[in-house]
Amino acid sequence: MKYKIIVILIFLSLIIPITVFSITGEEIIRKADAIQAFDTSEAYGEIRVKDRFGVKVSTFKSWTRGKYESLLEFTSLAERGQKILRTEDELYLFYPDAEELIRMQGSMLRQSMLGSDISYEDMTGGKDRVSQYDIVLEGEEKVNGIDCYVLTMTARVRTVPYPKEKVWIDKETFIVWKAEYYTKSGRLLKEMETLRVEEIGGRMIAMESRISDKMKTDTETIMVINNIKINIPLSVDFSLDDLSW
Amino acid sequence: MTTKLAKTALRNISRNKRRSILSGTAIGVSAMAIVFLFSIIGGMTEDMAFNLKTYYTGEVRIRNIDYDKYERYNPLHLTVDWESVKDLLVDIEDIDKFVPRISFPANLYIEGSNFGAMGVGANFSLEAGFQDLDGSLKSGRLPEKGKNEMIMGAVLARDLKLNIGDKVTVMSTTAARGTNAITLKIVGLFSFPVGALNSKYFWLPLDRAQYFLRMNGGVQEVLIKVKEGVDPKKAAASISSVITNNTGKTLDIRSWEELSTSYGLMKMADMIYNFIAMFFFLLGSTVIINTTMMVIFERMREIGTLGAMGMHGKELVRLFFFEGTFISMIGAAVGVATGIAITLYVGKVGLDFTDAISGMDFEVSSILYPKLSIGKTIFVYFYSVIIAAGATLIPSKKAAKIEPVEALRYV
Amino acid sequence: MKFLISLAFKNLTRYKRRTLITAGAIAIGLMMYIFVDSMLQGAEIESVRNLNWFETASARILDDDYWESRFQKPLDLNIPDPDKIINTLNVNGIAATKRMVFSGDLILNSQDFGEDGNMAITVTAVDPERDFEVFEFGRTLSEGRFLKPGEDAVLLGSWFAEDIGAKVGYWITIVTRGNGGFYEAMDLEIVGIVNCPNPNVNRSLVMMPFGTADEYLAMDGAATEINIKLPDNADVDLEVVKIQNMLNGNNLTVMSWEAMAVDYLAIAESKRGGSGMIMFLIFLIAAVGISNTMLMAIFERIRELGMMRSMGMSDKEIRMAFMLEAAGIGLIGSIMGITLGALANIFIIYVGIDYGFLLRDMDIGYRIQAIFRGVWNPGTIVSAFFAGIVISTLVAYFPTKRALKMDIPSCLRHQ
Repeated sequence: MKYKIIVILIFLSLIIPITVFSITGEEIIRKADAIQAFDTSEAYGEIRVKDRFGVKVSTFKSWTRGKYESLLEFTSLAERGQKILRTEDELYLFYPDAEELIRMQGSMLRQSMLGSDISYEDMTGGKDRVSQYDIVLEGEEKVNGIDCYVLTMTARVRTVPYPKEKVWIDKETFIVWKAEYYTKSGRLLKEMETLRVEEIGGRMIAMESRISDKMKTDTETIMVINNIKINIPLSVDFSLDDLSW
Repeated sequence: MTTKLAKTALRNISRNKRRSILSGTAIGVSAMAIVFLFSIIGGMTEDMAFNLKTYYTGEVRIRNIDYDKYERYNPLHLTVDWESVKDLLVDIEDIDKFVPRISFPANLYIEGSNFGAMGVGANFSLEAGFQDLDGSLKSGRLPEKGKNEMIMGAVLARDLKLNIGDKVTVMSTTAARGTNAITLKIVGLFSFPVGALNSKYFWLPLDRAQYFLRMNGGVQEVLIKVKEGVDPKKAAASISSVITNNTGKTLDIRSWEELSTSYGLMKMADMIYNFIAMFFFLLGSTVIINTTMMVIFERMREIGTLGAMGMHGKELVRLFFFEGTFISMIGAAVGVATGIAITLYVGKVGLDFTDAISGMDFEVSSILYPKLSIGKTIFVYFYSVIIAAGATLIPSKKAAKIEPVEALRYV
Repeated sequence: MKFLISLAFKNLTRYKRRTLITAGAIAIGLMMYIFVDSMLQGAEIESVRNLNWFETASARILDDDYWESRFQKPLDLNIPDPDKIINTLNVNGIAATKRMVFSGDLILNSQDFGEDGNMAITVTAVDPERDFEVFEFGRTLSEGRFLKPGEDAVLLGSWFAEDIGAKVGYWITIVTRGNGGFYEAMDLEIVGIVNCPNPNVNRSLVMMPFGTADEYLAMDGAATEINIKLPDNADVDLEVVKIQNMLNGNNLTVMSWEAMAVDYLAIAESKRGGSGMIMFLIFLIAAVGISNTMLMAIFERIRELGMMRSMGMSDKEIRMAFMLEAAGIGLIGSIMGITLGALANIFIIYVGIDYGFLLRDMDIGYRIQAIFRGVWNPGTIVSAFFAGIVISTLVAYFPTKRALKMDIPSCLRHQ
């Protein structure tokens, strides 16, 4: 009898924290990552870059497969035909007038993409976040009237660009509504906000988001997806061949 | 009386040839060295000015009105509309020639790494009249309009281990403030007279640069050389008004004196050179003065004789003055002529510093061609004559005061 | 011989004017030579010194692969335990200091600077307590104070400060990447401005304490370079080999400043050609001045020479007498010349000519102090001294020899 009670107590002590915080930070991040990854997707979109000289709009078509593979092809006049291919480990740039592919590596990844507030590094990031960061669920907050989990992520390694991140994730849909990127000492470097989400094929997808580099004055980059289809067969297979037609 | 004195002076000169030659050579060598030094300095200054005008600022430079303010951010979109400006410039009287240019920082992508360099988009047929392109091209040929070709600084090519026929992918930020890359074939290697250009720069056809950088027919700057004798500052003002009147647009049009970097550079060089020239004059003068004084003091006995024969002090002074003048006229003439000859010879051959100078950012040419300045040469000639003639006055005035008997005893 | 010396001496004092004029020609020539040489040498030495004092030190220890990729300023190609190496060097009597060089973006805020902006910069983190042992920034401070260990502060070059409109007390932000690639932003107070005579440094210097950078960039005490100062008279190449052996591999390379500044040295070499030409022209004028005055002085005295011969002096004695006299004039001229040269040098060496205002925007590649100063060049002074005597003595030889070949009457009739 006594034995049984102990077993129950142990069981209770295990279950109580779980019932109080029904979900851990890591799980939230995993879920948020999961909803962003589709088997496949095909989309049209635009990037609006605002800097000290004004606003510039570039349009693109993009394909993704799984979590890490993506291909972006620009369709706007100024950069028509330029492509960015991300494979699991590499990032390649294709320029119609260049006779070789440019493999981005090392410090080259730190350059900004199309003069925007997004660096190539930002595009490749997000892998193994769970293993690279200590994730703490700070609590809950409303963002634009939506209930969100607030998490802070502190880097365990020095090889990630942002030593600290703070993210606001929708409690229901696990959409990331807002993210802030900090230095180790807590200085705000970049800010990301999701401006609009849509439900497509039963999935919540961020259709418009704003990224701004806080180290520059008065700049922001808005990414808009105008048309997205998910889980459809694709004409591309995310190999280098896709970059040379 | 004066003619008689002059005749006597001439006779004295030819009678004592050795003495005349000695004092003449002193004057001559000084004049020659100064003429040559001035030519070297002239060559350096000329070069510096030429290089600044040719490769950096022109004599008048046209840029977009906002370009300089944002220069730090490489604002390629702040352009000058080449097509419309071109037609206006052709009709402006003061302008001799002009070229469009686009300079942009670029990364050369070589074997997985980026190397920083500077690209220049240029219209090679116009450049041919603006600079000595053929002379600068060390090997290969110039890029052709419309083709993805470039010429590269010989030193840069050496550093990157590239050669003619190799292809290089160039990346840069565009006027659309995006990025772009293009592969260009090296068709020639150049060696401009400015070291920095050879170790950092590559040049490509203007139309390819415009296309690559999405300049929409615009250019970053137009460099202008004005006609001989036209003040660049005034030319800049008149060009400015023509362009504003015809296009309604205001551009940044300034003469090279107003572009502080070039101005300071020239100033400094000028000061250093003038300082050196000053020492040459000082030294040259003392040599001339010493020789002349020596000649007169050594002739005290002769002076005594002349005095005993009834020549007045004033006449004596004048006689020696004539002698000094004649000798220096001949000496300086020979010296200046020799200086000119040396200058012309070296000016043709040139003093080559090319390989030694590759890392240098100073606008002195790698090959120095001494340049003769007619004005300065004439000045050196008269200066030498005046110094020599003037130098006779001190000892001869003194000699004139001495009693003939005393002068005869003088050793 | 004693007689000849006293004769020469008597002649020198008797014909004071001639002696003075001839000696004067020598003196002025030598003075100019010494002075111009001092200036040209001064330019060269000063610029080497500016390079050694403010940029390269005498030698530098780097990771084996650093030099190849130095333009990227990689933090991961570093020296893990610089203090240990510095201690070893110190034990061997060599001064050394660690530094960390990295690139970053300088962010200017409109509050202090009037306009927002950002620009690419290179930051040098120095050991505030030991940097002076190798570099000479200590005496270039023009405003504020030097850095203190571990504080969040920077020191700027004065031209750079002027360019961006920075003043002591302003704050700047530097955004960079730490060791590994993470973002870091540092708010740093400008505590001082240095007016460094090396224009390349003065135009771009941003200096902060090593400890501060170490912490922000997670370098764990590693430095990107160790700079070494060797005594002025040391054989740098030999010392470099010694230090290389001392390092015992460890993936570290020692480079002499000459190896780091090849391009610069190439320029200096070409400048030397130009200086040589100027010195040659100076020498030419001076030599012609000296020899012409001397020749004249001898020719004018052929009568006297004839008299000496008719009185029974041997040719050898006469030649000796004339040459001794010429040597005496040379001696007087040389003494006057090096005295005047020394006086002129004192001005150019201790006062100098200030021309810094002209150097503002230039990248002249030739590092020169804003105050132009000459140097003492004992070699030139000594050789000028002897050249004065030798030239005048030699010049006396030929006309004397010629005169001695003439018969006595034509000597006496000589004008």
